[in-house]
Amino acid sequence: MKPKAPAFVTGAALPRRAILRGMGAAIGLPFLDAMAPAFAASSVPGKPPVRMAFFYVPNGVIMDAWNPDYVGPFQALPRALKALEPYKQDVLQIGNLTHNSGRALLDGAGDHGRCCGSYLTGVQVKKSVAEIKASVSVDQIVANEVGKQTRFPSLELGMDDARQAGDCDSGYSCAYTNNMSWRSETQPLPPTLDPRALFERMFGTGRPMTAEQRAQQAKDRRSILDFVTEGTHKLESGLGPSDRRKLDEYLSSIREVERQLELAEKDNSRIDPHMDKPYGIPADFSEHFRLMSGMIAIAFQADLTRVVTFLVTREGSLRPYRELGIADGHHPLTHHRNQAELMEKVRKINEYHVQQFAGFVEKMKSTKEGDRSLLDNCMIVYGAGLSDGNAHLHEDLPTLIVGRGGNTIKTGRRILARRETPMCNLFLSMMDRMGVHMDRFGDSTGKLQGLDLG
Amino acid sequence: MRLYYWLVLAANCVSAATVDTAGFDAKVRPILLKTCSGCHNAGVRSGDLNLAPYLDAATVSTDRTTWEKILRKIESGEMPPKGIPRPPQAQLAELTAFLHSEFARADAALKPDPGRVVARRLNRNEYRNTIRDLLAVDFPAERDFPTDDSGNGFDNIGDILTVSPVLMQKYLEAAETIASAALGADPLPAKPLERAYETKAGTLRRLDYDTVEARHRVDFDGDYVVRFGFPGSRGADAKAVMMSFSMDGRVLDSMEVETKPSKLVYFDPFSDGEMRLYLPAGDHVFRAAFENDDFVKTFTNDKDAYSAKKNKFIASITFIGPYPSKVEKPSRKRILVCDPASEEGCIERILTTVAHRAWRRPVTGAEVAGLAKFVSMASAEGKSTEQGIQLALEAVLVSPDFLFRIEHDPNPDEVHRVSDVELASRLSYFLWSSMPDDDLLSAAESGQLHEPAVLDAQVKRMLADPKAQALSANFAGQWLEIRNLDSIAPDPKLFPEWTQGLKNDLRTETEMFFQYILRENRPIAEFLDARYTFLNGPLAKFYGIGGVQGPDFRRVELTTGQRGGVVTQAGVLAVANSYPNRTSPTLRGKFILDNILGTPPPPAPPDVPALDVSEIGTGVSMRKQLEQHRSDPYCASCHSKMDTLGFGLENYNAIGKWRTADGWFPVDPSGTMPDGKSFQTPAEMRSVLLDSLPLFSRCLTEKMMTYALGRGMQASDNRALDEIGTVLAADRYRFQTLISQIVHSLPFQSRRGEPAGRSIAALRPDEPKEKVH
Repeated sequence: MKPKAPAFVTGAALPRRAILRGMGAAIGLPFLDAMAPAFAASSVPGKPPVRMAFFYVPNGVIMDAWNPDYVGPFQALPRALKALEPYKQDVLQIGNLTHNSGRALLDGAGDHGRCCGSYLTGVQVKKSVAEIKASVSVDQIVANEVGKQTRFPSLELGMDDARQAGDCDSGYSCAYTNNMSWRSETQPLPPTLDPRALFERMFGTGRPMTAEQRAQQAKDRRSILDFVTEGTHKLESGLGPSDRRKLDEYLSSIREVERQLELAEKDNSRIDPHMDKPYGIPADFSEHFRLMSGMIAIAFQADLTRVVTFLVTREGSLRPYRELGIADGHHPLTHHRNQAELMEKVRKINEYHVQQFAGFVEKMKSTKEGDRSLLDNCMIVYGAGLSDGNAHLHEDLPTLIVGRGGNTIKTGRRILARRETPMCNLFLSMMDRMGVHMDRFGDSTGKLQGLDLG
Repeated sequence: MRLYYWLVLAANCVSAATVDTAGFDAKVRPILLKTCSGCHNAGVRSGDLNLAPYLDAATVSTDRTTWEKILRKIESGEMPPKGIPRPPQAQLAELTAFLHSEFARADAALKPDPGRVVARRLNRNEYRNTIRDLLAVDFPAERDFPTDDSGNGFDNIGDILTVSPVLMQKYLEAAETIASAALGADPLPAKPLERAYETKAGTLRRLDYDTVEARHRVDFDGDYVVRFGFPGSRGADAKAVMMSFSMDGRVLDSMEVETKPSKLVYFDPFSDGEMRLYLPAGDHVFRAAFENDDFVKTFTNDKDAYSAKKNKFIASITFIGPYPSKVEKPSRKRILVCDPASEEGCIERILTTVAHRAWRRPVTGAEVAGLAKFVSMASAEGKSTEQGIQLALEAVLVSPDFLFRIEHDPNPDEVHRVSDVELASRLSYFLWSSMPDDDLLSAAESGQLHEPAVLDAQVKRMLADPKAQALSANFAGQWLEIRNLDSIAPDPKLFPEWTQGLKNDLRTETEMFFQYILRENRPIAEFLDARYTFLNGPLAKFYGIGGVQGPDFRRVELTTGQRGGVVTQAGVLAVANSYPNRTSPTLRGKFILDNILGTPPPPAPPDVPALDVSEIGTGVSMRKQLEQHRSDPYCASCHSKMDTLGFGLENYNAIGKWRTADGWFPVDPSGTMPDGKSFQTPAEMRSVLLDSLPLFSRCLTEKMMTYALGRGMQASDNRALDEIGTVLAADRYRFQTLISQIVHSLPFQSRRGEPAGRSIAALRPDEPKEKVH
């Protein structure tokens, strides 16, 4: 076989051998910058699509630093949000949203397990360590509808490796806190944690291959998937219903992979396989966040997906924030019993998380799409499943929407919903903007009005 | 006799009504009313339990789970708690005896139910081990696949192990990587590729003056020329140095590097060296280092150390390749059992052999024909037969028969024995976390495996195999939670000794201890206290034990009472704790209740104040603070036992090191258990634990059974658990007896069918739950 020159994206966008300077922090640095211009050309012509993302932070926030003492157009931002000052005209802060299904109701302790499980699903999850059950999450409902137009219906990201043994919260399976997206009521979608794994999922493994080799690989993969699909159908006929359900999960995953294969063939031909890639999980929290969120920006810009969930860290996270001089674990700190010193440490962690997020907002804002910014066409929710983590409160959940959802959201202000308004009402309104029109979701009582009104 | 049997059976079929109401009213009800319902009523619901409905005798049969819990709390002495007037011991004994006999009667009447395990996907460990045993290929699944979720404390629970599109994509890519590594049938690129790592470009990392590191992905198995660049020179009389080159910590080769100035070059001195090496595909960390290089010790700054005028150092590593290799892969021998070029029917033989082993069951002619199509398809495309076989192997590895452990129900309405072939997989994934080997599989296929003598012989053989170490890594690693050693993060300022080396040593200690008890068939009581452990030099030093030198682990006799058994192993103490900067007697006590005694406390009520860390060791001792907390009777019922056990471990700091003071306060490890037993030292606390050997035995049995079956324990398993407990006690609680009893138990050997109609209804998504607000 005569090797043909591969059709790489090269030139100005991707230097032949990008240079890494200074170790540690710089690993993977060039590719983020290199990828963006390489993919800019691939943006869809015509009206840009609306995208949505959910950034989730655990263990609640200290609300006195989160809520300002006014409603309406932003004046001075409260302390926790200070890092968003340059972009405050793109931020909508919503107060009084509640997740009733995160409350105990009759299920007893386990607020952390429950609030994460219910956050995007809107249902009270089954209290069990072995038989998990939630409901299809809002991101997946949208992904099922609009996902066919992109290579990935959705991307699930995270930064915390799953705790490998033990029970996660008072009788709730770790599945509820390790994941936030649910494809079906029994199938959570595990977040990708490693920037390299995410990179390779988006851009291929980068094994040097010619165009023919790539086409051959795609063809081989298709015939393998055909073979196992056929075999599975035969196998299923002899099985009981619960075993069959397991194999149905397997089959539906195969169909999804087949679809991505087709789309990947188009995209991967544009990648330089020698491009420098992120290597593994950086030890530095802020670098890890930067890489993961940077790839979200690229995925949105290149229209690889329109739906992303990002579980920044897990509920009950014990991570100490030594970079802030905090040696105690995050979760124990949030049970501060109103002691000033401990609360101050939590505030610092809250600020730190928002600072990381602000870096992502900056990237989205500075990326052009048509005559607007990429951010204008997005709805990025930044929020938590608890407000007061000390008392495990599920009302007035900290919630920001950043971006104007394709000019359908009026930002630059704080609005207050009526007390106890279901968070699911907001989700319904967001679904509308994604072109998915439903009347009910979770415990919704209607759509959240007023997002677009002054 | 027989008539009597039928009468009892018939009577019990009426189920709920058959509880001995008179006995209940005489022996149980009065105590419930007088002693228990003061806290466990509709208003207070202490421990989330309201006993009002349980005044009805019928609940002993209709809500067995709650009654089991009540029974355990009373038997362990936890209930009634201190401060509540205790009924005379004789009355309590009557109550517990009554419940036991009612349970036994109900169990005897029940149709035995082995339970049902859903088709189980291989988890990451099982996948890696199975690939190793099938193809002799090492595939780091835990690095490539998403983390498996766990339930019931283990990551091999069928219901929890799901498949997502991300994982499916990984399976497909893994199959390509593995099949290619196993056979290497694809032609190498026509021209070798070159990839350079340079310190100047920042791609080669300087670890110190004589060591550099590059992270490089090898794309193809094959030979590579690795070229090193050495700028500079040392003095005219400088000695040559040995340079070693290693991959992932293993030295591949070394070579001598001359450091004297060359006679030929005066300006910008430079030399290079080469090795030709076989490198396996994958992500690797490569290091080149000058060994025992005294010369660089004279440098005090980077400027001199990397000056070409003053030193010779490593500045670049270049990989050139791949080139065809003569290295014979063991995996090729496993797959190519005959020569397809010269032997008739060889392709079918190859595919039959590999699919048979990979799918852990006999394969049909039609299945082999399906796989053979990949070979004909490849040849139609001008590819080699081996490439076709490689493709068929990929299909084998992506198939559900490989990825799942599927068991069939010949008659869905019946309880039935699993087939011998299914039993073989149950056994091998239990003991080895891997596939059955040929010996086990052929015992199964000849239909003999279920025979008790054959089964016993197989278990004995398998436990003696090094692969049985999987039990310590996967079972003990999760039961004792030492897998979490890597994820806990003690404050490095307070605990500078907490290094990767210490973590590894602690893990090794606990694993070797577990393996020893298993291999030597010791009584499980030794988990609670033993006069020996396994140490190497550094760990012995950490423990303050003399006379142990060097990196190798060995059995060490313990001569003081400081340590003994798993609860006082520092690794277990550290993970049971999980606070970065202090000990938590409560969490450690909870760990013992959860994992040793099997009597988990109810979850903490909401809004419960946590301990103020900043005050510890300064104003008031932690013991005082917790005692204050416990003076509230609402807290006391759970905390008295938890904290007492935890205080017994206060002589060990947050990373398990021995201490006699915490901050300003001397440690007081004494305590009195709710049942009145008291202890003064950790050693005495261990003997209190030993008094609860039957509880520990039950706890360990439940955990191991959960792990073996891949599902949580249910009420219907009680009979099997009780039976195992009886046999185990009669055999001095020896560990292999436990394993063999599990293997012979009904739940392990049988399976309940699942009628299609009923469960499809159960699968229908529920309406959103109506909840009372």
